[in-house]
Parts: sequence; structure tokens; C-alpha cells
Amino acid sequence: MKPNIFVKDKVAIVGAGLTLFRRRMLETPRELAWEAASQALQSAGLTLKDIDCVVVGSAPDAFDGVHLKGEYLADGSGGFNKPVVRVYVGGGTGVMVPAAAWWHVASGLCNTVLAVAEEKMSCAHPHPQGVFAYIWDPILERPLGPNLIWIFALEMRRYMSVCGASKEDIALVSVKNKRNALDHPAAQAAARITVEDVLKSETLVWPVQLLDISPVSDGAAALVLAEEKTARRVTDTPVWVEGVGFTLDNTHWFNRDLSYPRYLEYAARMAYKMAGIERPWKEIDVAEPYDPFDYKELHHIEGLMLARRCEAPKLLKEGYFDRDGELPTSPSGGLLGVGNPIAAAGVMKVAELFWQLRYEAGARQVKKPVHKAVANAWGDLMQAGTVVVLSR
Amino acid sequence: MAWWKKGRTVDIRHVEGKMETEKYVYTPGIAGLELAKALIEGKILGVKCGDKVYVPAKTYCPDFTRGELVEVKGPWTVETYTIIYEDMYGGKLEKPQIIALLKPEDAEGGLIHYVNIDPKTIRIGLRVKPVFKPKDERKGLLTDIAYFTIEH
Repeated sequence: MKPNIFVKDKVAIVGAGLTLFRRRMLETPRELAWEAASQALQSAGLTLKDIDCVVVGSAPDAFDGVHLKGEYLADGSGGFNKPVVRVYVGGGTGVMVPAAAWWHVASGLCNTVLAVAEEKMSCAHPHPQGVFAYIWDPILERPLGPNLIWIFALEMRRYMSVCGASKEDIALVSVKNKRNALDHPAAQAAARITVEDVLKSETLVWPVQLLDISPVSDGAAALVLAEEKTARRVTDTPVWVEGVGFTLDNTHWFNRDLSYPRYLEYAARMAYKMAGIERPWKEIDVAEPYDPFDYKELHHIEGLMLARRCEAPKLLKEGYFDRDGELPTSPSGGLLGVGNPIAAAGVMKVAELFWQLRYEAGARQVKKPVHKAVANAWGDLMQAGTVVVLSR
Repeated sequence: MAWWKKGRTVDIRHVEGKMETEKYVYTPGIAGLELAKALIEGKILGVKCGDKVYVPAKTYCPDFTRGELVEVKGPWTVETYTIIYEDMYGGKLEKPQIIALLKPEDAEGGLIHYVNIDPKTIRIGLRVKPVFKPKDERKGLLTDIAYFTIEH
């Protein structure tokens, strides 16, 4: 299939950086951003002087407790005396950041972009969950006293029913990702656990239990993107951004198909078309589907069309998605294992694919040869899908 | 009173909401922690980047390298100032308060702080110095500097 888009400049990722992901970090949000950003620059062999534009990504201001967080973070992201843009689509922000960085470069506007995402979820007390109380409709939802896990629990139950997936099938995702994270130096929630541990953990909002969920985290992640000429000059192994996609499904969760992430399928189709990919289940070698909850990885594997609908649980059981499997998913350890500083978690996933495609992932390197990779994130009012397709 | 408490639908005018985040707890950061310790000692810190020093103290330099934290001694001069007569609710202050942008002569950048002198004598270019609270009242906060006053 021919790509459907003509861009001024081909875009590559040439550097990536990551802070530790932890429940509570001493660093201020700016300092976290700076640590990740300077690491990304260093890995690209560039300095701040070489950067034309800055893209900042962060989820709600109310997490860090700083209003206009994009402007606040710009200081730690190298965002002064140059164009700076903040993108925000809730949890989907992490993959929107490289997408926005891509169009800054592809349009010919900037030759190099420093893309930084940060989240500090430890600030809001008693719990960052309280921040989410304001996403609900004041007339139709808030009188019931909902919390965020309600959406996930209803989705998970619907997925289990439509696809005939059991709690045991789904728990395997948590087992796999937390195990993968044992090899990740930044990981917060790496562990060797069993399906039984997941099923025995505290029930929060049935069927969601404590070990079905990613942790609350502080952290930052950054990428350096460049147009083709610069990319080839600074590295022998640029990782090309082949396609980007982003879509909103229906804003009202009662009007969405909760068993299938349509928001993701549309975003994925957009990205695959741009990348000239017709059969993602054959052409994609490694994937980082967004996994804030264990069932969500299965959901997203299907939405990314890496498996047929309802087929992901069966393939997972066969080891198809393991690090040495046919199509490794979340080799990093994902949000369940590495941690979930919202926007930074999405960029962490893209950074992982960057290292995988350059064969630099060390102990996390997947067994099979890799050429093409896909990552996604999900958020806003749970109707936003963001996707990037990469190749080496 | 909200309509659902009165039970009269004719009273539907608004629906109430309450922010469920009770408070925020901010970490001081790497440079912030050192600055807090220095304030308790009666010192103001800046960051040394090459041959320049910047206030306030930060972990990193404008070129993104890691800086070295050093003491900034002043003297300080008033770059610009304002005199506050009312608070943001329209309440009259007992005594007008001077807020100024203060620049140290031995560093770049500056601090915003109170200047505690007669508003009639404040002027741009005035030399001032910080006055710290008594040591047992210092908490590692910016307000450990009680105010700035005329340097004689």
C-alpha cells in the first residue's frame, strides 16, 4: 500500500531519555523534565543549542498542582527563546507528544524537536484520584459519586462477557508485564507474581483488583526528533516515524462500545495508512499497547489489529505476546510494571520501541528481529486514541 | 441552598461541586532543598554556570548543564517596585506594603520580596539588604527573609 501523505521532511527519533518512575520523587516537575530532556539530548549527541522547537506534554494541571503546567514545565524542557507547544489529551498525551513533534518536523517548520512529557502524581492529597472527580458530568454522573475505576470495571466486565475471557486470562497480562519490568532500570512495580496473586489481591471495584492496576507515579520521559538530513548526520541508526494517528470516539461512555476500543482502531488505521501498513498483525514486530489496566492491553492489542477481536486472551496464554514470542507486547514492562506517570508513561513506551528497534534494549531486547513497531495511548474522557508507528 | 435539599424543582438554578483534592504537597526539588537549608542558615543561594551566577538557585543552567550552588551576598538594588494598598478582596491594608524586584550586584536574575521602608522613600536604584527572621523562627521558606531594608 502506498502512503497517503506527502511530507516535506521525513522524521526520525534520534535520542531518548527517562527518569526513574517512583511513587514520590524529590525532584520538582521541572527538574524531572530537565533530567529526562538532558538525557535524551545526550543520547542524541546534541545540545540544547541544536534544538529548534520544543513540544511539552502533560496530563491535567491538577496532578502537579501547578496551573498552566505547560508554561511551568517549559523551563525544564529547554523551552525558551524558541517555539514551544504543549499538547494535552489526558492519558493519550504520551503518544500525542511524538505525534505533535512529528508534525513540527514533517511540515518543515523545525529541523529538530525536543519532546518532553512529565507527570508528578504524588502532589495531590489524599489521592490523585480526587483530581478525576471533575471529569464527570455534573448532571448525569456526579450525583452517583463515581470514581475513575467505575469506567474500567464496566469496560472489563463487558469485555469478559463479550469475549468469554476469564479473570485468570486477564491477570496473565499483569504477570507478564510486571515480570518484563524486572529488567527495566527505571521500574517502580516490577515483580514476579502469579495469576493467583492477582486474584487474591484486594478487590477495588469488581472485577478490578489491586494487581490489575498500574501504580501512581512521578516521572518524566523525553525524545529528540529530527528531519532526515540531521538524523543521518547524528546517528547511524535513526528510528523513523512512519505514521501517526489520533481519534476521539463518542465522548459519552454510555454511547461507546465498551467491549472494543473503536477510538483506537480509527487512530491505528490513520497511522497504518500513513505508514503503508496493510496487515499490521503480520507486519508489526513489536508493540507497546497502553496498559494502565491488565485488560486494557488485550483491548488495545485488538484495537491495534494485532489480533482478531476477542482473540488476544487466547494468544496471550500461548505465550504469543511474551518477550520471546511471535509478537512481543510491552517488552518494557509497560505501565503495570514500569509505572504510570501519565504523559511520561506514553513517552516511555515510545522510548522503549526506539531502543528495541536499535537493538539497545539490553536484557529487555526481544528475541525476534525487529523492523516495525507500534505504540498507543488512551485517555481524555477515555475516548481518545493516539498511535505512532516506527521503523528502523 | 441547593434545590435537592429544598426538594423544589422550581429552585433548579445550579448544581454544586466540591473539589475532592484537599491539599497539595510539593517536593522542594534538588536545588529547592539546598536553598531551604541555606535560608535557615541566613544565606541566599544562586547557581553558578560558567562565569555567571544566577538567582534564584536552580539545579540546571540555561544551557541545560548541571550548575553549582553558591551563596549570593549582594548588595541588592531595587529594579522596580509597587505599593499595595488593597488585598484581592478589596480589603484595605493596615499599612501599605512595598513589593520589589531586587537584583543582586554579584549575580544575574533577581528575587521578588517585601521592602520594609517608608513608601515615600522607595525609589528605583535604592540599595537594600535582606533581614532574616530570628534563627528559631526560620523554616526553610522564602519568608525566612522577613523583608529587605535600606543598606547603610
